[in-house]
Amino acid sequence: MMPDLSQQGASPQIAPPSNPQAPVVYFQGVSKTYGRIHALSNITLGLSGGVTGILGMNGAGKSTLFKLLMGKLRPSSGEVKLFGVNPWKNPAPYARVGFVPEHEKMHDWMTALDFVSTFARLHGMTRDEAKEEALRVLDFVGLAEVANKEIGRFSKGMRQRTKIAHALVNDPDLIILDEPLQGCDPLARTTIMNVIRELGKMGRTVLVSSHILSEIERITEQIIILHHGKLVALGNLHAIRERLDQIPHTIRLVGTDARALAKDILTHPAVYGLSFPNENELLIQTYHFGELHAELPGLIVNNGHDVSEIDNPDDDLESLLNYLTGGSS
Amino acid sequence: MSRDSSSSSLWKGVDRKAMAVAEFTLKQQRKRLSTWVVFGVGFAAMAILTMFYIDGMVRDYDAIDNDGDSIDTDGDGYPNGQEIVYGTDIYNENSHPGLLNPSIEPDDPSLWIDEDDIDWDAFVAGSHGYDDDGDCRTDARTASQKDSNNNGIPCDVRMVTALYGDGIAIEGDTNVDEDPDDAAYGREAIHRASILALGKFGFVFLIGIFVPLFMATGLIRNEMTSGTMHFMLAKPIARTEVFLYRMLGFLALAWPYVTVLILLEVIVFGLAGPSEGFFRLQDLGVWLSIWLAALLAILVYGMLFCMLGVMWKHGIILALPFAAWELGMILTTLGAPDASILRFSVIGWAMNIVDAGAALTWADTQLMIEIGMWFDNGSSESLVGAEALQIFASSPGLGLGALATIVVSVIVLLFQAASCWFLGGILFKSKEIE
Repeated sequence: MMPDLSQQGASPQIAPPSNPQAPVVYFQGVSKTYGRIHALSNITLGLSGGVTGILGMNGAGKSTLFKLLMGKLRPSSGEVKLFGVNPWKNPAPYARVGFVPEHEKMHDWMTALDFVSTFARLHGMTRDEAKEEALRVLDFVGLAEVANKEIGRFSKGMRQRTKIAHALVNDPDLIILDEPLQGCDPLARTTIMNVIRELGKMGRTVLVSSHILSEIERITEQIIILHHGKLVALGNLHAIRERLDQIPHTIRLVGTDARALAKDILTHPAVYGLSFPNENELLIQTYHFGELHAELPGLIVNNGHDVSEIDNPDDDLESLLNYLTGGSS
Repeated sequence: MSRDSSSSSLWKGVDRKAMAVAEFTLKQQRKRLSTWVVFGVGFAAMAILTMFYIDGMVRDYDAIDNDGDSIDTDGDGYPNGQEIVYGTDIYNENSHPGLLNPSIEPDDPSLWIDEDDIDWDAFVAGSHGYDDDGDCRTDARTASQKDSNNNGIPCDVRMVTALYGDGIAIEGDTNVDEDPDDAAYGREAIHRASILALGKFGFVFLIGIFVPLFMATGLIRNEMTSGTMHFMLAKPIARTEVFLYRMLGFLALAWPYVTVLILLEVIVFGLAGPSEGFFRLQDLGVWLSIWLAALLAILVYGMLFCMLGVMWKHGIILALPFAAWELGMILTTLGAPDASILRFSVIGWAMNIVDAGAALTWADTQLMIEIGMWFDNGSSESLVGAEALQIFASSPGLGLGALATIVVSVIVLLFQAASCWFLGGILFKSKEIE
């Protein structure tokens, strides 16, 4: 009556088959096509350990890459391996994987604790073990105090953190986060970034995707850049960044008095241009984005300015892509 | 030994996952308004059907003088029946039992309505019936008049195997059992017909199809569409397991629901049905078979519709023609319960269970129908309720004994459910989920 017992995912007592030499994540010539649309073309890469950022515009193939890894999609050609195992139709490797999907829809009627512990039980935990584990991971993402509140009443950032907690049960070796920072408030952003860095320090393999370069930059230096389904860069962001610094960047500030702010910022050597789209907004042009971005918070606080938002319009990734693809994008 | 412990822990793991998913599904369905709307509509539909039954039970059935014995044709004050027994002329007012020696007082005409009820309880081979009112046994009749069915026994009723079909034919001597208690017969027949109608059309068909249609079709599909399936599928659980455990969660809600509805009807029918005591217990066997058939129908349709949901995002559109097919099949079971096309349905097998349960519980239903129809001859109509009972009662269609029919049908239905799970699992496994 239980034909699935043959599937290795059935029991927590049986370790999923794995080859210690095999990379955690392995793509060999993987393509995914939908009719004539190439979502991913000929991706080859192997990853083990550390935090890796997957950068790309919307539709670049980041989610497709993750869904191939999670066995949700089947590669049109090539080979996908997760802990040395093909994940298609085989849930066994997921005992060691945590996945944060990009989808915003959640089970709003559940409390965070119910949500996390219910899915923890799919690792074969008892009700009590699952509850204990859920409380541990909810505390890890900073949601211990609202564990018994319904997800439907959560803010965007709390929802993202709940999804991360769901992924962290059973202490996975690989954590995949699809756009975890999207739509989050600054506090949640900081918390989530800290969580990801922490996981990296604990020796886990973390894959995190984003379409915002500066976000990834604050988390990791190891990046993969996808563009139109192709892998255009893989490696240390610093090296790429140095070349990128030759391209101007924009930083956008929103505060109560943009002009007063401008006066103090204009003196910074990295700034080469300023503009005011409106009274509360300040756009800064710079060739030394990394440097300025790092020093900006200090500048604002030391001069007593009231700034409610700092962000970089997405064009920095666009310009990076432009640079990497030689303008062909 | 170690092998044992690892297999028991394997079961424990499966069990924990099953419980987690089933519990989750149960809670999820409970939180949905649509679940309660479907349940409410189901309850209302059953309540309406029950009202027809209550109406049938509380209605006054006129006592019909089927043989006209209460009439006083010649106006001499003596009902015809009384005159026949004493051998006087019913067409001559100057001939009546009052003129006999000793003189007989005239009876109240109401005594001659329903005065010769059916006496079928004694299943003595070949001879049944008793001439309660004496209008056959009267000395005024000759021996051949007393034995018009030519079985050598005066004033009886005999049952023979029908020349056509596998029923029985009833041949009675004239004036035997010719004026039954129409109200008693009508109540019993309508009571039985109502249980069968409600059980077959209400529970097995309506509840059996529509509850799974609205609740099971989306069990997997809704989660795939909304993206929430990713949370479950990111865990080490096979998709066939997800399919099965989601179904368990659905059944954990749908089965108790139909059980409670049936229990309510058992109480209503037990209190309102014709009975010598306070509560009519003799239908329990039929209710049990209806309950079993409804549980299995919900199981098979649930698996099937869940599978159709996996197959196509508009699975409900695939399910509707199937529901129409099943409606055609349940109508077929009424007229031709042994039609072989019924093997290709779910409802045909479920109906076998109900019919077999009814055959075990009410052994005399076919006889009741025959008796009721026996009156349908030139001079009188069939008894009230006989036609309704004939419509809704069928003999189980497999040509096996009742118990064997139930066993075979249960096995077939379980096999159908397992096949749907198997197919649904394969489909779900090979589905790409965006």
